[in-house]
Amino acid sequence: MKGIKDHISQPLENSMFQFAAYDSAAAEKAGYSNYSYWGSTFRCFLKNKAAMVFMTVLVLLLLFTMIQPYLPNQYPANLVIDHPITGMQMMNVKPRVTNVEATAEKDTLLIVTPWENEEWLAVSNVLSSIPRRENFTVLEYGSDFCKVEYKGKTGYVKNDFTTKLKLPDDYENTPYEAKSNYKIEIFTTPNVLTYNGDELFVKKSSVKMLEDGNAITIEKSELRLLPDTRPFLFGTNNAGQDLWAMVWSGTRTSLLIGIVVAFCQAMIGILIGVLWGYVRSLDRLLTEVYNIIDNIPTTIVLILVSYIMRPGVSTLIFAMSLTGWVGMARFVRNQIVIIRDRDYNLASRCLGTGTFRIITRNLLPYLVSVITLRMALSVPGAIGSEVFITYIGLGLPISIPSLGNLINVGRMLLATSASYQLVFPTIVLSIITISFYIIGNSFADAADPKNHL
Amino acid sequence: MAKYLLKRIGQSVLTLVIILTIVFVMVRQMPIDGYFENIDKLDEAVIQATLDKMGLNDPIWVQLKDFFLNLLQGDLGTSARYSRGVPIAQIVAAKAPLSIQLGVLSMAVAMILGIPLGAAMARSKSKFWDKFGTVFIVLVNAVPSAVYYIYIQSYGTQLLQVGMLFDRENWVSWILPVFSMSLGNIAYYAMWLRRYMVDELNKDYVRLARAKGVDSKKITMRHVFRNAFVPMIQYIPTSLLYTVGGSIYIESLYSIPGMGGLLVDVITRQDNPMVQAIVMIYSCIGIVGMILGDLLMAVIDPRISLTKKEGAR
Repeated sequence: MKGIKDHISQPLENSMFQFAAYDSAAAEKAGYSNYSYWGSTFRCFLKNKAAMVFMTVLVLLLLFTMIQPYLPNQYPANLVIDHPITGMQMMNVKPRVTNVEATAEKDTLLIVTPWENEEWLAVSNVLSSIPRRENFTVLEYGSDFCKVEYKGKTGYVKNDFTTKLKLPDDYENTPYEAKSNYKIEIFTTPNVLTYNGDELFVKKSSVKMLEDGNAITIEKSELRLLPDTRPFLFGTNNAGQDLWAMVWSGTRTSLLIGIVVAFCQAMIGILIGVLWGYVRSLDRLLTEVYNIIDNIPTTIVLILVSYIMRPGVSTLIFAMSLTGWVGMARFVRNQIVIIRDRDYNLASRCLGTGTFRIITRNLLPYLVSVITLRMALSVPGAIGSEVFITYIGLGLPISIPSLGNLINVGRMLLATSASYQLVFPTIVLSIITISFYIIGNSFADAADPKNHL
Repeated sequence: MAKYLLKRIGQSVLTLVIILTIVFVMVRQMPIDGYFENIDKLDEAVIQATLDKMGLNDPIWVQLKDFFLNLLQGDLGTSARYSRGVPIAQIVAAKAPLSIQLGVLSMAVAMILGIPLGAAMARSKSKFWDKFGTVFIVLVNAVPSAVYYIYIQSYGTQLLQVGMLFDRENWVSWILPVFSMSLGNIAYYAMWLRRYMVDELNKDYVRLARAKGVDSKKITMRHVFRNAFVPMIQYIPTSLLYTVGGSIYIESLYSIPGMGGLLVDVITRQDNPMVQAIVMIYSCIGIVGMILGDLLMAVIDPRISLTKKEGAR
């Protein structure tokens, strides 16, 4: 008797039962494909450079928006910032990287205004002022600042002689008597160390106090707008709030609205779309309901619902979700009608699979890509609707900053020097909406099997 | 055809009745302040007497019945705050023609600019026009219209040397509102026409024409464009709804004395009867536009089956 071992020329070893590595040439020969839908979709998506750029930008922006309030050196949103001495709101301060308004050279005489703080000193270089129609002596003439003497005090005045000063014809031949047309200020140095006439603030450590209560700088020192080091990166708005904080707070509100709306629309849309497509007895009824809702301009529904309900985030979300699901439901319905009676579903049903399982396992996975696309596109849509509703006067109150009401406030200022109050919110908003739009479309392209190679 | 027509019109009338009822009932949930010019100065008896006179204390179905009866006689009610006591129909009639002119003009402009853009994009795939058009479509679709309208108004008026506000007599001041209103539709037409034309270009008859040596320009214009243009008709109703939505914003932005501006006005003044009336008028426009679009499509393209409506695009 020959043993079984004699038939096998090759001895059996464990190494023969290892998985082979994937070899594309060998696979082609054998007609094997390791095609996986999601793998190809993501590969396609990652290849799209524009989409990746926008994806990175959007992710960074979203992360930044979330962590911005916890970063150091941030003003809280909605805080009205007052000047500590005048008590006036710091309105329309231009955007700046630091809040240093001016620098004083070493040994500059600074006039101290009585104001108490442990760290900061309120100073200016305004020595005194000349009332209108007063005589004073010009000691030295300069094209920007003239050195003058008035009532025993020597200092510099700004040389706008066409309006404020009345000078003789040979004005370079000093000294001479001159007359003021308006009230003018005498500075200790030939430059202006105030912010629109208000005091600036300097660190106590960088000045030496003099006996008469004034101070002299012991080093080159920075004079700040406020006794604070926090900058106004986007400036302040016309209510004296830090626009940087307002914009990010507004972005959070708008994104919240956008994402919740997208989610609600998807949920309602999928639920109704599946019922509409799968349950035959509901088809007639839901088609009629669809025809009714689809005929009403969306804008009108938005306006009416916001008009009737109290303005607020939840009102906006409700109003937008009320109409937005229609498109999604119709799409899901059409797709389900197409694939509902395919053979594999028929087989599944014959084997006794429950309806719910058929829907969640057999039907919906086909629609994931389209649903994602629609959700990505409804975010910019919702943000845009918010801007529109705010313009009409039915949006959020300004105490809840959103990109919509920031843009609405900035709208009036576009033609003025304060146009940055419109430009900054617009830029942030455009980046968000364009990113969502491009990512959504690229993903839809990538998810289309026609583009998988 | 007649059967379809009747069915379609009947359906729309039903839709209209349902929408009017919903709007009517919803507006009734508003606080009664919106029916008086200055409710704080009136005492309770006067308020109640006025409400009785206006029929607002009746049960809701009686109000609804009265409302529909009045509506059939062309009576939309009277304004409460905007200009007290004036019939709404009269206010609207004075404002509507301008809105209609603007809307029609902007839709015409959208077609004149959007269709050539779409055709140019499809013809020169991945060349200048395609890139330009793609950027344009992305910008118009992604950036909220409310935002770019503001910039167009501000910079456009400087460029054209006209005032920020609309002046009916000066034709230059028509340019910006009409152009702004048409932007969304230009992008919409261009996007769909390009898609249909690219689909057509890949079909066999185009390959045959090429093989026969037909000039490529002739193929695009004579064959591809014609076939691609027919399904475009279905986007006209939707673009009408866009125009309606845009007109509300544009008219108020340029202070155009039209219906859209009026709607924003009466909302800020909380004039309940007028909000109700104007919302209803806009819904009617939407419905009528939809019917017209469907009919137009039925007339133009005999391939479209009227009784079975498949929604997939």
